[in-house]
Amino acid sequence: MIARSAAVFGFNEYSQQIARHVRNIYQDFALFVMTKEEEKAAFEAGFLVELVDLSDDWSRIEEHFDVKSLIVFCALSNDSENVFLTISLRAQFAQLNIVALAQDNESATKMKSAGANKVLPSLEIAANVISDMLEKPIVTKVLHDVLYQDGLLNIIEIEVPRYSTFVGRHLHDIHFKSEYDVILLAIVDHEMGTTFSFASKGHNHHIDPHDVFVVIGYQDKLEALKLAVKRHHA
Amino acid sequence: MLGRWVVAFAFFLHSSTVYRRVKNSTYNLLENSNYPYKKYFDFMMILLIFLSVYILIRQVKHEMSLSWLFFNNYIISLIFFIEYLLRLWIYSDSTKVVIDQYEHDLFLHRPFSLGKSLKTIVKHKLEFVFSASAMVDLLAVMPFFHEFRLLRVFILFRVLKLFRYAKSLRRLISILSSKKFELLTLALFAMIIIIVSSVLIYVMEANNPASKINTLFDAVYWSVVTIFTVGYGDFVPVTHEGRVVAMVIIVSGIAVISFATSIIVSAFTEKLDEIKEEKLIDDVSKLERFYLICGYSSLTHEVIHRLKKIFKHIVILEKDPLKAKEAQSEGFIVLNADPSSLYTYHTTQIQFEEQVIAVILLEDSDVANIYTALTIRELNKKIPLYSILHHHENRKKLSLAGIDEMVNPHLLVGLMSRRISHQPIAFDVIHELRLGHGGTVIEEIVLDSGMSKRFFELLLHPLFHQRLSMLGIYQNRTQTFAFNPDPSYEILAGDVAIVVANKALCSEFRDHLHGKKIK
Repeated sequence: MIARSAAVFGFNEYSQQIARHVRNIYQDFALFVMTKEEEKAAFEAGFLVELVDLSDDWSRIEEHFDVKSLIVFCALSNDSENVFLTISLRAQFAQLNIVALAQDNESATKMKSAGANKVLPSLEIAANVISDMLEKPIVTKVLHDVLYQDGLLNIIEIEVPRYSTFVGRHLHDIHFKSEYDVILLAIVDHEMGTTFSFASKGHNHHIDPHDVFVVIGYQDKLEALKLAVKRHHA
Repeated sequence: MLGRWVVAFAFFLHSSTVYRRVKNSTYNLLENSNYPYKKYFDFMMILLIFLSVYILIRQVKHEMSLSWLFFNNYIISLIFFIEYLLRLWIYSDSTKVVIDQYEHDLFLHRPFSLGKSLKTIVKHKLEFVFSASAMVDLLAVMPFFHEFRLLRVFILFRVLKLFRYAKSLRRLISILSSKKFELLTLALFAMIIIIVSSVLIYVMEANNPASKINTLFDAVYWSVVTIFTVGYGDFVPVTHEGRVVAMVIIVSGIAVISFATSIIVSAFTEKLDEIKEEKLIDDVSKLERFYLICGYSSLTHEVIHRLKKIFKHIVILEKDPLKAKEAQSEGFIVLNADPSSLYTYHTTQIQFEEQVIAVILLEDSDVANIYTALTIRELNKKIPLYSILHHHENRKKLSLAGIDEMVNPHLLVGLMSRRISHQPIAFDVIHELRLGHGGTVIEEIVLDSGMSKRFFELLLHPLFHQRLSMLGIYQNRTQTFAFNPDPSYEILAGDVAIVVANKALCSEFRDHLHGKKIK
């Protein structure tokens, strides 16, 4: 289910950046802090926050959000507390989408075990970007622009609706490059699960309802493809 | 009048670029271990030394041809003598002494004192002449007077000259000289024991007909052989008194050897870190190209872990000895030095222009990174500088310090969170492509002008069509990215194509692009 609300836990440089980047894309957004000091610092930084603790009382979350359409970012400064927060949330809400921040790889594994859907290991992320900048500077620049900048070039996911004209066709019959001026990077085969496979593997995949295309292209071309995919059989 | 001529000549030499250049080159060749040609010179001198020793040994039992003897006695000696004179020349700057004296006297309205200048010059030169290494150099020239048979033994001084050319031997001398006082005390102790025991054994044994020790020289020889625990057995005491002396000297001998060993071992132990550091600096100066990382932390560890896959030489500068030790234990090349100090780059002899590909600043604070960046920019304006950015508000300051690219982990996490929130699969796809774990990678292929036709034809070849996606071409000249260009796109030299495919297929595509025929 597409998330409509987001909650960020913790107040530090990471959680501030997360809050700044996600608060505008959700209908409901809340920043939860653990201490009075954090509450004060957040207030001074211009954030409206709510004070919570790591006890088992999650009624505030249930009152405020529809848990099924909520995404939670666990970004406490202390990794062990962050693991505890993740496992507490998972114990309470089985369906909740949890993104957890980890300082290192060791904590990242623990976050996964604690039930996080996605882990962002900050150390690994920074190291990857630095080595990418040195090894493949142009690729890094282009991908950074595509992923994070609001430029014309973008990467999006398009889910194939049940009655789409694309259903029943084979991947090689659709000329993404020449016809739509976009490039298909990967496809998620709905029947095979949620993992994706790269289009460059060369498989002539049979398109089924709810498959997901991951495509890269200019915004207007992507919109055109989106419309084409959504078009129903006559 | 003579004084005026001397001053004029000194000024002439001082201002002569040819004279300066020759003197500088001579200095570099003889004394500057960083001078690239010095190693060839050292190698040649070592060769001459070994040749001399070989001829000396060969001469003992065989007839040597006259040409060989001439080469040994005259040519090699002459080369060594010229080297000695050159060292004497470069040891001090006599022209500067004359000029300084002249200017000093002029300032005080006195007539130029030639005598004072000559005294200073001679004083400086004598400092060289009486230095241990210069004396060895001079003695090594002695075989030149080969007519005096005894002087031939001086050829062995040529072996001592090896200390000049072999760094490790010089290091050994410096280590031992750090324990000069202890070694001299021990030598004095051993000498006293030898003298006392020699006299005693002589007194006890010389008048005994059964004893072989008849002279004082025999007694000294016996004492030396015994105290150093060799004990040939050719001279043995036969009297009870002599044997008591022997027992005392044997025990003392063990003490002398043990003390000597412990002094030498402790000298090495104390200098071990220094030796290692010097060796490391030597190793780094021999590296052709490397990445220089300033500061060691968990992030440095992660970065090196990734960089090692593409480039094996990475040098770390870390000022904290504990962190440096930690990095060393991980097997990294670490110099325990402050990256923000100019002195560090002077002592470590890092050549930015020739050796360093890029500098990565990974210190714990923006303040430290800015300080280091300014130091490096003082030494080199062009070297690419990358840095971690700890606080977003310092971005401009780092940029002003000359840092080309910055990575702010907090901002990255924020941007990723947004992408993960609404396009999680797309994010995973890009992440996977970057890591290349599944075999599919995103690669850069450098293109050349005139490649357009072949490039676009290859993309349609059955081997690559549907299996290699070309995202676009990055035009280096305009720094713009042309997404999914059509075959009419004109490729210029230095443009870079970005492709997504299996790693092996990418490599195949690159080969075919550069002329390999498709079977």
